[in-house]
Order: sequence, then structure tokens, then C-alpha cells
Amino acid sequence: MSDGARDPTRENPPSVSALYLHVPFCARRCLYCDFPTRAARADDELLVAYARALRLQLAELTSLGLLEGVRTAYLGGGTPSFLGPKTLGSLVATVHRACPALAELSCEANPDSLGDELLAKLADGGVTRVSVGVQSLDDAELAALGRAHGAPQARERLSAAVKSGLLVSCDLMCAIPLQTERSWRATLAGVIDAGVGHVSVYPLQIEESSAFGRRYVHAEAAFNDPDVQAARMLEAEGALGAAGLVRYEVASYARPGEACAHNLAYWTGRPYLGLGTGAAGMLDARGYARLSVVAPQLPKLPANITRVRLTVTSSPRAVALRPRLRDLSCDLEFLTADQALCEDLMLAARTSAGLGAPLLERARERLGARRLDACLGRVLRRGLVTSRPDGALAPTRRGWLQGNELYGELWGLHEGEVLGARC
Amino acid sequence: MLAGTFAIIFRMNTHDVSHIRNFSIVAHIDHGKSTISDRILELTHTVEDRDLSTQMLDSMDIERERGITIKSNAVRVSYDADDGDSYQFNLIDTPGHVDFTYEVSRSLAACEGAVLVVDATQGVEAQTVSNATLAMNAGLDIVPAINKIDLPSAHPDEVKDEIEEELAIPADDAVLVSGKTGEGIHDLLEAIVYLVSPPAGDAAAPLKALILDSYFDEYRGVIATVRVFDGSIRKGDQLRMMALGDGFLCDGVGCKRPGETMVDALSVGEVGFVVTGLKDTALVKTGDTITSATRPCAQACPGYQDAKPMVYTGLFPIDNKQYENLRDALEKLRVNDPSLVWSPETSVALGFGFRVGFLGLLHMEVVKERLEREFGLDLIATSPSVNYHVFLTDGSELAITSPQDLPDVTRIDRIEEPYLAAKVIVPPEHMGAVMQLAIEHRGITKDMVYLSEKSVEIHFDIPLAELILDFFDQLKSRTKGYASLDYEMADYRPSDLVKLDILLAGDEVDAFSFIVHKDKAYALARGLCDKLKEIIPRQQFEVPIQGAIGNKIISRSTVRAVRKDVLAKCYGGDISRKRKLLEKQKEGKRRMKAIGSVDVPQEAFLAVLKVGDE
Repeated sequence: MSDGARDPTRENPPSVSALYLHVPFCARRCLYCDFPTRAARADDELLVAYARALRLQLAELTSLGLLEGVRTAYLGGGTPSFLGPKTLGSLVATVHRACPALAELSCEANPDSLGDELLAKLADGGVTRVSVGVQSLDDAELAALGRAHGAPQARERLSAAVKSGLLVSCDLMCAIPLQTERSWRATLAGVIDAGVGHVSVYPLQIEESSAFGRRYVHAEAAFNDPDVQAARMLEAEGALGAAGLVRYEVASYARPGEACAHNLAYWTGRPYLGLGTGAAGMLDARGYARLSVVAPQLPKLPANITRVRLTVTSSPRAVALRPRLRDLSCDLEFLTADQALCEDLMLAARTSAGLGAPLLERARERLGARRLDACLGRVLRRGLVTSRPDGALAPTRRGWLQGNELYGELWGLHEGEVLGARC
Repeated sequence: MLAGTFAIIFRMNTHDVSHIRNFSIVAHIDHGKSTISDRILELTHTVEDRDLSTQMLDSMDIERERGITIKSNAVRVSYDADDGDSYQFNLIDTPGHVDFTYEVSRSLAACEGAVLVVDATQGVEAQTVSNATLAMNAGLDIVPAINKIDLPSAHPDEVKDEIEEELAIPADDAVLVSGKTGEGIHDLLEAIVYLVSPPAGDAAAPLKALILDSYFDEYRGVIATVRVFDGSIRKGDQLRMMALGDGFLCDGVGCKRPGETMVDALSVGEVGFVVTGLKDTALVKTGDTITSATRPCAQACPGYQDAKPMVYTGLFPIDNKQYENLRDALEKLRVNDPSLVWSPETSVALGFGFRVGFLGLLHMEVVKERLEREFGLDLIATSPSVNYHVFLTDGSELAITSPQDLPDVTRIDRIEEPYLAAKVIVPPEHMGAVMQLAIEHRGITKDMVYLSEKSVEIHFDIPLAELILDFFDQLKSRTKGYASLDYEMADYRPSDLVKLDILLAGDEVDAFSFIVHKDKAYALARGLCDKLKEIIPRQQFEVPIQGAIGNKIISRSTVRAVRKDVLAKCYGGDISRKRKLLEKQKEGKRRMKAIGSVDVPQEAFLAVLKVGDE
């Protein structure tokens, strides 16, 4: 993350500092998945048309000047690599053209679609990080998850990515079917050996609307027991830490200097735009007003609202057919200054930097010392956070494992319902 | 149509008792009692097709949903019979559950006949037997009707045989009907004319009217549903309740067709309602007799009992701020349900609430559901209790309805508990199951009488406390539904009772305490600890659950501490989703009651009621 003092836009902070693009296509749908994505054929014309639509939207935003302050961008999915070298390559190029201040550009990829040609295209096109959806280095586990790749391919592609000179991250899942303590250790050791500088670790969450949700709705899934999840998360913290990957967020570990700046933008209350089906964005009142110029369907900002969260609800086909921003459908949430602040507290608690002294000061002012301190007292007493010499409150091991207790307390400081809308 | 209506009114005013038929419809559940009632209303043009919602007679939402009748209801229809005369039919609906046995007996007392509906595909079933028995014991003329003859699987001839063999009711001329198509309903109405006796009674004698039910009308006060046995009632009459003694001026009389219709008089043999003008439902009790204040009858209708609460439970708002609302809601409910009684109660675990008395467990469930649904309250009900008499060593006596009020064991000389004289009628093949069940519930069998080859009547004494939990459900399930249960209060007897406490994380939770027979305490304690372990979610710390009598721990289980909670992947910065998950978690907690430092879900309190089942 660049130092704010050197940021040329500091005097007049940008409306948008991060950009997320969603690619809602995959080779197949994994059994645990409830994300906005769909299985598609690689030669489906929709893929090209959809990518073209995103490029048109970027052009529209550029003409508004909304993307001038964008420092980080992230191509997520779904499976962006599934678009193939040509389509993905031109999308990456457009992102670069649209965001002149871009310092970090991440792209998600799955091992089975991260070919040499694509890797080269990404590296040449100015992508700085590639995040590989490895999930496990055990063939049986991968099959049980319904992944399209096997362990040897994952190892080989990770090494190739590292060799390409890109910063490489990989996603791993724990508390999954068939996983043992031993296989988990082997997976962790495998990705460390491959030389990745960044790892994200998520315990499997059995979502109601996924295939796993239907399969395990009546069955207690022992592999997913909270105790197992805790043990796996602790194992990951230990193994990755020993390899020099330091936890900087509840689910993210990185070598010093290799933390994902884009991810951090989410946790530090910086406005970001999300484009594509299911993409989420967050704007302040000024950014929302500027976006409304090209998207007049957006409802008028209600009184006393300082933050808007938007999720694109148009289907991929709708996006492809009617790419103009004015044609997008969205779910919206409008947050008051107090609610936005409570969100910031909740999100900061996900990071190792924790709740910094300036943020706490702001909160004390806005929410009142009594209300805030009562809440902080509770989370301190329960051992969810610890006080640091610089005045920050950082999550403890218990705080990492029982994040919802901690986040729930902080978000619970807000008053009133969050106002919702749809357009 | 208009002319016909006038004609009927004219006829009604002639008080021709020979043209009145008062009857109930009795049936096994789902054999079509409601559809036949609806068809009768339709065929007699009491309601037009378009007004027919299914189950016209059950008016309360909960009654409709649960398919049970809680309040009695009487509808008057006019039937132009084939003999050219017009008849007044009063169709009296009866409550269908043992909690309301007394109300059932009063409703049947108002009838001369009963239509016994039997499903042509299912034949005679459990409740056919128990309901027919009730009707026959009340001395009613039975009109058997075989329903659903439109179905291909109907076998009416065999069903006729069953009715004759199992119920000893002549069924040769049982009416074949279809509530669905309306076929045979006309024949049924004719059969009612011929088979059901007209009411007896003396029009010139002093007024004697039985109260079947009552309800409160905001504008007119309490309205009593009555059956007139002698004399008549008119607006302006000076009347008096015979048991309770209150006098009142009759503010009007009418009948339901099915909407309220005012009439000039309710005459001998008729069923209808009386506007009492009284402002308190407690003054108008089912089973009481209304007579003339100036010319009272010599004897009241037989069988009046004051509906006494049998079961007590604590009702507590989850959110203590709802305490006042709960009190208001109880007061509003009591307006239509005078059997409801309550007094304030305080629980260490649950805060402020009320000790509420009910007629039985179903009554309790219905009231709790109405409080929650109609008044938007979130309530916890504690384990039900009866009224115990505690004799202290200093010679004094104490009546308690809550385990919390039980004095220290060293001060107790003995405890007496209420016993019931219970009567079960059951086919002989289920006799063993009933005896076994009675023994398990500390019942003492008195005797057995064969009523016929197909039914035995078993008499036993049983502690009320055993009966209120799940005895009735168990009886029904173990006899495949064939048993009918009837009971009345017998006496108080000394029992070896102890107070079983449950400790959560070392703290006694008064809301989980039980008064229980010593022999059953260990099994109950074990069952409760295991059950609570399943229900109480894992907390931030380990929670031991202990069962104790006095200082002695007799069972134990442990809820493990939670080490890890859900970590939803925040893909693409979708913070809204994450926040919603937290809101959901918070909502889940809101539905729980914090007891000390432990979050206890509402189901835990419910589970305590059901623990005896296993």
C-alpha cells in the first residue's frame, strides 16, 4: 500500500480508489460454490460479449474521470482465466488504459486454465499479481470439492506462475471432505515449496444454496466441525508463519511487502467500484453523485447518507446485451455516517493492524465515549482483541477464530436499519 | 326467497317444539365433519355458496389452523322438509379435546341427537368410537352417516357392519353422503327430522336455560350461548345466573344463521344467544343455568362445575420490556376466556412474568400461541406444575403452584398432590398398553368393566402432575388413537416429592426446576441434562449442566466451548453479505435468553416440557 502522504490526490481524495471486475464464468461449478458464476463452454460467444461490455463500461467511467484515482484493480470470479489469453488480455489492457494511476492489478486464475500463453500475456499486459485457486494439493480432496484440476497440475502451474515473475497468491480451503491433519500439512508445505508469497486460507463454508448445502442439510458434516476448522486455521497460521508469510488479515498471509493492497482497500473503508454480474462496490456520497450522471436509474441519495454499497444484479447476458451503465440493475444499501463508521470498525477488526488510534478517536467522537468504551470493554474482557502500545486494538488468536463475535459487537454499535433499495 | 324467509320467521314465532331438532356432528378427524356442516348450511340456504369458507363454524384462526374446535358454536338453519313442514335445526359444534371435556359435555347436554360421520373408505376409527361413546352416554339419538361415497375406494356396506359391530348402533339405514358432491345431504336432513327427538320441556314453566359458552362483545358485554329447557327469554326480562347468583337485564336474544340474527324470543327447546350486558365474562360460566329473577325455576340444569385451572406455568417475556404488554394481553384474552387466571411471578433467570393457570396443556399451548401471534410477544413458558399442598413441620400448610415456592426440605413435613379419578374406554386389545402407561405414570388401577366385546372401561387414580405432561398424547399413540379419556378431580394424597434443580455453569436456573416424584428424579435429571446439552449452542466457554436435588448433584453433561465461528469468504469486497450474516447471528441471539452468562434458546424451555416423552 502506498504511503498516503505521497499520494498526489491527497489534497482532493479520489472518489474511487479501487476497481473490481467480476467474471461470472467457470469451466464447471464446484460443489461448495454459491458465488455468482456459472459453468460455460470456453467457446461460448457470451464470454467475449461480456468482456466487451465490461470494456465499454470502463470507457464510460473513464470519460467521467471516475477512475483517475484508482490505485488497485482486481479481476475476480468465477474464473477470469477461463476467458482465455485473447479476451482476458484485451480486458487487462483496457483496465490499464482506463486507470492511469494503477499500481497493482490482480487476476484470479484456476490451474486448469492458467496456460503458459495466458501467463505470459498477463505478465506482459501489466498484471502484477496472480491469485491461483488451488484449494488443496490432494487429488481425492479436489475431486470431492468438484474442482476441475488435480494436484500435480496445481503444483506445476504454481511453479510456472512463480517463474513468470508475477507475485503469486494461492487460495486454500480447510475443513473439507476427506481432509486430514496430515493432508492439510502437506498442502500447506506444497504451496510454500512452490514459492508463493501470498496465501489465503478459508474454512469451507457449507452454503445452503450450494450442492454441498443440499447434500449436508440433514447430515452433520464432521469434516467441517468448528473444532476442526479451528485446528486447521491454527495449523495454517503456524506453518505459513514459519515460512515467513505473516497474517495481515483474518484469512490472508503474505511475505512482507506482498500483501494485496486491493484487499486492504476493502478493510480500510476506501471507495471502490465493482463491475459485472454480482460485483460489489462501495462509494461515498460524492462518488455516488458522479456515477449517477451516467447511471440515472440510481435512486436519489437519501438524506444523511454518506456511504452507498451497490451490487450489480444484471445477468451476464443482460450485461452483454445492454452494456451501458444506465441499463444496469443494482441492489443498493445506504449507510449513515454512524453506520459507515461501525462498518469501518468491523472491517478493521479483520486486519492485523486492527482498530488504529485515529479510527478509535473518530468513533469515540461520533458514537460517544460511553457507548464505544462499553463495547471495547466487552471485546477486551472476552479476549477477542488486545491493546497495543500505539493505542491500536488488534485481534487476538481468539479474535481471529471467533471473528463473528468481534465483528458482531462492533457492527452492533450502529443504530437503525440499513436502508435498502433496488434499481 | 324473501317470502320463504318471512314464512320461517312466522313459524319460529309459533314455538312449535315438535319442529325443532338440536344436534351435533361427531366424527373421527378428517372424516368430513366440517364439509358436511358446510353442506348443510349451503343446502338450507343459510349461507350462499360464495360466503362459504371452509370450516364455517370454527372462527378462530388457531382453531382453523389446528383443525380443532376450542369454543362451542351453535348455528340455526331452517329446513323445509319433504313432509311440507319447515324445521328449525340447531347445529351445535363441540370442542374436540380432552382439555375441554367439560365444555363438550355441556354442548352435548344441549342436544337431542348426534350425526355420527364415518368415512366410507376408512371405516370406524379411534375417535369414531370415543365420540360415539360420549354421545351415547349423553343419551342422544344417533344418526349414522357414511361420508365420501363418491370415492372409488368407498365400501359403505362393510362400514355399516363395522358401525353395528363395534358401536352397537343400528346402521342398516345409515345415510350415504358425500360432503364433496353434496349427494345424500338431503337424505341426511330428512333422517335428522325423523331420527332425532324433538326437545321436551314446558313452555309455561319458569325459565331454565343452560349456558354452553360465552364470549365478549365490546359493545354489548358478555353474550351467552344457551339452550332453553323450560320457559322462554325475551328482551327486557329480569334474569339471574343460578350458580353464580348475578342478576341482569336481558338486552336481547338471537341466533346465528351463521351471522347474528336478533329474534323476539328464545323459546323452550331452542338454542341461541342472550345479550347479558354483563361486563365480566367471569360472571357467565359454561354450565351455569339462566333463570328468571322474578320467577326462578326450582332446579338448575345438572352438572355445573366451576372450570378450575388444572395446570400452572410461568409465562415470561423474553424481552423484559414486554412485561406490561403481556399483562395487557392476558387481560384482553381473559375477556373471552374466563378460565384464565394469573398472578405475577419473578424468576431469577427469566425476570418478571406471570404464573398462569390453564384447563390443560392444550389450553396452555393455545393461549401461548395467541399471546405470541395476536399480541406480538416473544414468550418463554416454564415447565407446567399443579397445585401442591405442602405441610410444614411447624404445623402450617402452604399451597404452591411453582417449584420456586417450595420451602427448604428441612421445613417440610409432607407434600400432598392432586389425584384424578380417570376413566379410559378402549378396545380390549389395547388394555395392556393402557395399564402399562398408567403404571408408568404412578396410576393405581381401580377396576375394569367390559362395556361390550369391543370396549373395556378402565378406572384408575392418577396424580394430575403425571397426566398434564404428555399422558394424553401417549395414550392416543399407544392405543393407536382408540382410547377415550375422561377424568375428574378426586382428592389430595401424600407423595414422596422432591424438587429437581438444573444448574447451568454452576448457577441454578429456577425456570428449569421441577417438582417430581423421587423415583423418577434420576431418570428425569439425566434426560434433561442430555437434552439441554443438545439444545444449548456452544458458547465462548465450557458450560456444565447439572441436575441436583438439594445439594446433591445427580446428573451432569457438558456443552463444549466454541473455538471457531463462521468465516464467510468476502469475495470481491461483498461486505453487505458479511454484514447480513452478522445481523442473522444477532437475530438468533435475540431469540435466546441470556441466563447468567449462558445464552439459552427458547427451545430449551420447550424441551423441558417434552423430556418425559423419551
